[in-house]
Amino acid sequence: MTKVFIYPTNSLILSDLIERFGHTPLAMMEGVHDKITTIGIDSPPLNITPEDPKYGLKYAAVEVPAGVRGRMSIVGPLIDKAEAAIIVDDAAISFGCMGCARTNELTKFLTRDKDIPVLELVYPYSDAEGKDFVYKIGEFLNSLPKEEQS
Amino acid sequence: MTIHEDGTLTKLVVISSDSVLPIDAALEIYESETNITIKETCFGTMVTGPEDTVNKVVKEVVEMDKNHIFVKERGFPPGDDRRCRAGRGGGPRPGFHFLRNEIGMLPIIGKALDDYDNNVPLEKVIRPEKLKVSHLKDIIKSEITR
Amino acid sequence: MSEKDQRVKVALVSCGSEFAGVQPQLDSAAEQVNAQLIYPEMDISSLDTIEMEFGLQVASADLKLMMARAKAVVEGTAHVDGVFVTSCFRCAEAAIVRNEVRRYIHQNSEIPVISYSFTERTTAATLLTRMEALTTIARRRHLLAREKQSGITVGLDSGSTTTKAAVMRDNKLIGEGWVPTVNVIESARKAYDIALEQSGIKEEDVQAIGTTGYGRFLLGEHFNAQLVQEEITVNSKGAVYLADTQKGPATVIDIGGMDNKAISVEDGIPGMFTMGGICAGASGRFLDMTAKRLGVEITELGKLAVKGMHDKVEMNSYCIVFGIQSLVNSLAQGSAAQDVAAAACHSVVEQIFEQQLQEVEVKEPLILVGGSSLIEGVPKALGDLLKIDVVVPPHSQLIGAIGAALLASGYVEE
Repeated sequence: MTKVFIYPTNSLILSDLIERFGHTPLAMMEGVHDKITTIGIDSPPLNITPEDPKYGLKYAAVEVPAGVRGRMSIVGPLIDKAEAAIIVDDAAISFGCMGCARTNELTKFLTRDKDIPVLELVYPYSDAEGKDFVYKIGEFLNSLPKEEQS
Repeated sequence: MTIHEDGTLTKLVVISSDSVLPIDAALEIYESETNITIKETCFGTMVTGPEDTVNKVVKEVVEMDKNHIFVKERGFPPGDDRRCRAGRGGGPRPGFHFLRNEIGMLPIIGKALDDYDNNVPLEKVIRPEKLKVSHLKDIIKSEITR
Repeated sequence: MSEKDQRVKVALVSCGSEFAGVQPQLDSAAEQVNAQLIYPEMDISSLDTIEMEFGLQVASADLKLMMARAKAVVEGTAHVDGVFVTSCFRCAEAAIVRNEVRRYIHQNSEIPVISYSFTERTTAATLLTRMEALTTIARRRHLLAREKQSGITVGLDSGSTTTKAAVMRDNKLIGEGWVPTVNVIESARKAYDIALEQSGIKEEDVQAIGTTGYGRFLLGEHFNAQLVQEEITVNSKGAVYLADTQKGPATVIDIGGMDNKAISVEDGIPGMFTMGGICAGASGRFLDMTAKRLGVEITELGKLAVKGMHDKVEMNSYCIVFGIQSLVNSLAQGSAAQDVAAAACHSVVEQIFEQQLQEVEVKEPLILVGGSSLIEGVPKALGDLLKIDVVVPPHSQLIGAIGAALLASGYVEE
């Protein structure tokens, strides 16, 4: 199984397809979950404390807004763990965890900058595009090692 | 895998099927296990319980129409005060809007998965390219002279 | 206090406060003024069209969400009593949307709105004044409608530098006290005693007390005040009262000892406002230091400044340390004292223009209040810069105390 980072980081479709093809998605949900279940921190709703944007300094300088660094404190470690990545672009619908364009630019950059296989696509809006989308993802995922990587 | 503090896990099951209704899926879950809670929402069914049980049950549900039922994990357990709109008041949280858009695409994805399983060959998708300037010039000319 | 029990709903219109570590601070500030922050209910389909409706296309989808939520608030899809528009400090894209959203709500509804840009270091205390002003406007419109002072009331304004007291009777100021702030309660006691003595009123005859300024909570408790109110609301009301422009638009600028406020007022009710300032270099403190360096009394600085030419001296007090540096340098180079004084006034005003007035529409009359308004060079420099006449009402230095006394008289009948 390969750990595949997904972008959009909270995508239902990508998360599902990666599991479907026998790999492990690295998604925002995991990061958020780790945050909200950290015992002893009470900083609702996401338990992001003023400390988190400081962890985000690992990925962006202090001149970058706090919201970007706060998001990066969750996304960054996922990219660090990634063994492969799928990037699907459609800024128009990227709300919530994906709602900040500056964070998204940085996320995509850090992913591409890493020496791992990356598949880049756009969201499908027709049956033909959908087929192209799923086939490409299928082939990409099938090309990744299914065995546990050390 | 994201296990909650109490050892439970939450998965979101979204049905985009012609043959399986969300209520069928809910019944399937209720009938199969007792230590699982499910919550139906406007965009899917949230299943919470012990990790193994959730995975087993979700797998069973997906098998009902495997290419048209989609699953993702959820960071928050259902009804968590920090996220629940009942607690925070007002409208939906931001992530909902993204999910809504993705759910709109599920029929396309489901159909493509069926084709993939059936080895239907992929036709080349032609996405329109940007118009060449020279061609645009020709169009302008012909429009003006008309 | 009965109004406090009334919980108000404040729409949180933001693209990422919960990711920036600031959300608990926002919640805490809201909780302290008995407000609930909510994501406004909205028509989901409006997300597809909102950019073109606003005429503002953005790269970040959550900014579309901000616009759509603002629309829901204006059109009444979401029922809220106030709106808090906020985004990350140093994000240009969000700043454009934040300003337009604020303007849009302000122009298209009666709902009070404030905007703020945060960092991960923003504290609940910083947010509290803003949240308090927002909820006051939502809750106490009737109080803000008061145009005349009645009975015998006292206003105490505990500022960062000076503490002011005003005793009023039947719409007249009959006693005033103005002392440097040392200990919040002791200084207020002193100012209060001076004002009482001047007025000839006995303390037990005072019918209501209002407190404002940084020390308002402490004073409110100590003096059993009927009204404890932040300075945005109090100063807006005080300014239009003193300048006799209670109806229609006005802009209030308050240059304080530590920070500044620019408030856009309509019928005496604050609308948009900005507070703060990067550094004391933009405040009365810099003028105080200039006076000391020039060896003149602060009360003389203004007269000196009016005689000088600011452009003969290069001075930028964006930072108070740099400001003092240019002060020392210019004097070392032999600049005339009056030019230096004029440059200092100009620099303070320039900072207000750059840091505060960028976000607030300047509608006439422009009322300048606070201790610095008495330094003649300051209103002159402000008028020169903005090309409009600046109104400095009588007793402008007592703005907070008079505003508090005026608003407190709303409790006299009770």
